[in-house]
Amino acid sequence: MASQSNGGAVQAAPSDPTLNQRSRTRALAANLTAYSFLAPAGILVILFFFIPMLLVILMSTTNLATDNFTTNIAEWQYVGLRQYETLVNDPFASKVFFNTVFYVLCTLTFFNVTMALIVSLLTVHIPRRSGFFFRALWMLPRITTSAIYIMMWERILADVPFGILNWFNELLGQAPVNYASDYTWVFVIVVNGFIGVSFGMIIFTSAIESIPKDIMNASLVDGSTLIQRIRHIILPMLRWPLLFVITYQTLSLLTSFEQILLLTDGGPANRTEVWALAAYHRALSNYYGNTQWGYGAAFSVVLVVIGVVLAVVYMRVFRFNELVAEPKIEVL
Amino acid sequence: MKKFSVFAIFVLILASFAVQAQDTVSITIRCKANIEGGENWRCDNFAEVEEEVEADLGINLELNLIQDNKDWGDYKQEFVLASEAGEAPDIILSGHEDIGAWAPAGFILPLDDMLPNYPAFDDVVENLWESQSWNGQIWGVPQDAEARPIFYSKLLLSDLGWSDEEIASLPERVASGEFTFEDMLATAEQAVAEGVVEEGKGYYHRTGNGFDWLIYYYGMGGEVMNDAGEIVFDTDAALRTYELIGSFVQRGVTRPDMIGYDGATLSTEFSSAEQVLFHQGGTWNLADWGRNYVADRGGLDYLEENIGFMLFPAMSEGIPVTLTHPLSYMISSQSENPDVAMALIAAVTTPDANNRHAIDSFHLGILNAQIESDAYMNDPFISGAHYMLDYTTSAPNTPAWNAWSNAYWTGITAVHTGEATPQEAVDLAVAQLQNELPDVVIR
Repeated sequence: MASQSNGGAVQAAPSDPTLNQRSRTRALAANLTAYSFLAPAGILVILFFFIPMLLVILMSTTNLATDNFTTNIAEWQYVGLRQYETLVNDPFASKVFFNTVFYVLCTLTFFNVTMALIVSLLTVHIPRRSGFFFRALWMLPRITTSAIYIMMWERILADVPFGILNWFNELLGQAPVNYASDYTWVFVIVVNGFIGVSFGMIIFTSAIESIPKDIMNASLVDGSTLIQRIRHIILPMLRWPLLFVITYQTLSLLTSFEQILLLTDGGPANRTEVWALAAYHRALSNYYGNTQWGYGAAFSVVLVVIGVVLAVVYMRVFRFNELVAEPKIEVL
Repeated sequence: MKKFSVFAIFVLILASFAVQAQDTVSITIRCKANIEGGENWRCDNFAEVEEEVEADLGINLELNLIQDNKDWGDYKQEFVLASEAGEAPDIILSGHEDIGAWAPAGFILPLDDMLPNYPAFDDVVENLWESQSWNGQIWGVPQDAEARPIFYSKLLLSDLGWSDEEIASLPERVASGEFTFEDMLATAEQAVAEGVVEEGKGYYHRTGNGFDWLIYYYGMGGEVMNDAGEIVFDTDAALRTYELIGSFVQRGVTRPDMIGYDGATLSTEFSSAEQVLFHQGGTWNLADWGRNYVADRGGLDYLEENIGFMLFPAMSEGIPVTLTHPLSYMISSQSENPDVAMALIAAVTTPDANNRHAIDSFHLGILNAQIESDAYMNDPFISGAHYMLDYTTSAPNTPAWNAWSNAYWTGITAVHTGEATPQEAVDLAVAQLQNELPDVVIR
């Protein structure tokens, strides 16, 4: 019956212009309210993401370098897709690409997701205060200034007589180890991973703690072990946080390079040069000074494309539409 | 009458302010300097000559001297961005190779018209001007020069059985071509074999990218820019270079992790003269070692007694070689007072001023009168290294230098780490060069 009366109202609408006008005005007002709430964030995104991205795309079609540098767009010398052609044929770029894949995969897998999950699971299963304490400890790398954090690592890894690890080696009668050079990737991943853990840890911890207590209690009554609870209750309920952490951290790792810049500057012998750092070195800073803004911008645009593609893939894999679908049953 | 007097005083005060304002010239000078290494005179010399220039030009000078030891890449980019923002310093001190990019960009001024007005510049060592030119014009004034020699430990050579005469004559034998690079590596190999040094500590080369690597390529007969101004990559010279560099680790004289090795550790090891036999460095290293590494052993006296330096011994070309990388004072095209800036540069281009810098920081002199001065001659390190300027080379001034050197470096790292054979390293460098510099001449 309800649908019939509704249908009747809808059918009546076209024949009543005043009602139609009022309904439109109301809908417009509702939309305007929604847009006004979105506006501050929207303006920020347009100003600080879309416009710079458009500028970078534009710059990547120029041969802008130090010897013809100008910020006047009208004076840029446009070369079409030549920078991308150069990039595709650049043997150095393929090395950088594989470095980046290795770095992102390892850091994401071992630290940003797995270690974050382990820390979360451990700290929610110990007394609450102790849990807070250990989670606070894991926050330290993130809240420490990058330069200071890396300086600490440099002192830890340095050779004798400056390095802490080698000081212990000497104490134990072991030969000194050139950690910074012999284990470069290990430490690049560890240094970045220690920062990355805290992000996933916070998300996972809050997600685990928001699992309804009655489900956990029911599992305890059923006699489930801790491992079983993690396997069959906690992990399935973390699909949304996992999607978020993996997507966000992948994009973050792809674009962040400051720790690598400060720790190794891409060395030794370009071994730790990742894509974002290569873009920085090309466009903004290198030893010899003559930077290639156009070519560096092409590096950056490729990074944006990779990031967007990966975000879409993650959403498909984790079935994002299902996660944000309207609930089938209205829960009060 | 009283009112008139007050008005007259007021006018006079205003006029005096106006005159003062008109005659005060503000000049900003930006320098990169390792203060701990005694390089502060790069900027501080201007303060020393301030009154002299004020008197000469009849003006009031307001000097803003800014110097730090910022990373080269950031330092150069700062000038580029400042120039684009209209806030460039009047005088910038930077590597001569920047002329190749900053001159075509219009960031700096050609100096040809101003140079003849200052006799001080006539005394600059003639071959240094070559590094200050681009497109047939002079764009900078040399601030210093240096040699990049190979240091050797007298103590360890003695342990190896060399007599005092053999050790003392080593620089001469290198300069004459009698003692070659191959001889040096063989000596390092022998030192490792006899346990005088540990494996990998026979020869320490540069730990990162830089101009020094060009010495090997030059020593093998390569050139970067031909007489026609074309960028060149000589594959034969590059192959010999990569074969040589690749052999360092294979022969056990250089540690495999030398690229990326910690600089402080390197200095600690070599300056003691007890651990590493040969080390490729720069004359300025002596100032740093003396002050910061062996001060407790006697500083420079200890270094003089136990460490010597020589040219890069002859490689395939048969002649010893070194490289200098003069820093240059350049005048920004945005300077409102380029004549005053030039007068200041002329005032610090004197034997007294440049000796302050050369002696404190162990850089070589740039003026003929300076080289003959007592202060310079009495310094055993600087006067002892000065002959190296006769064998010196330098990097070219061209916008293509960055791409060239990066491609060359890609080959070096590939062959050093063993990722590529020397021929593969050449192919890699050629591919990178042709990709970025389509006009490069490969021969």
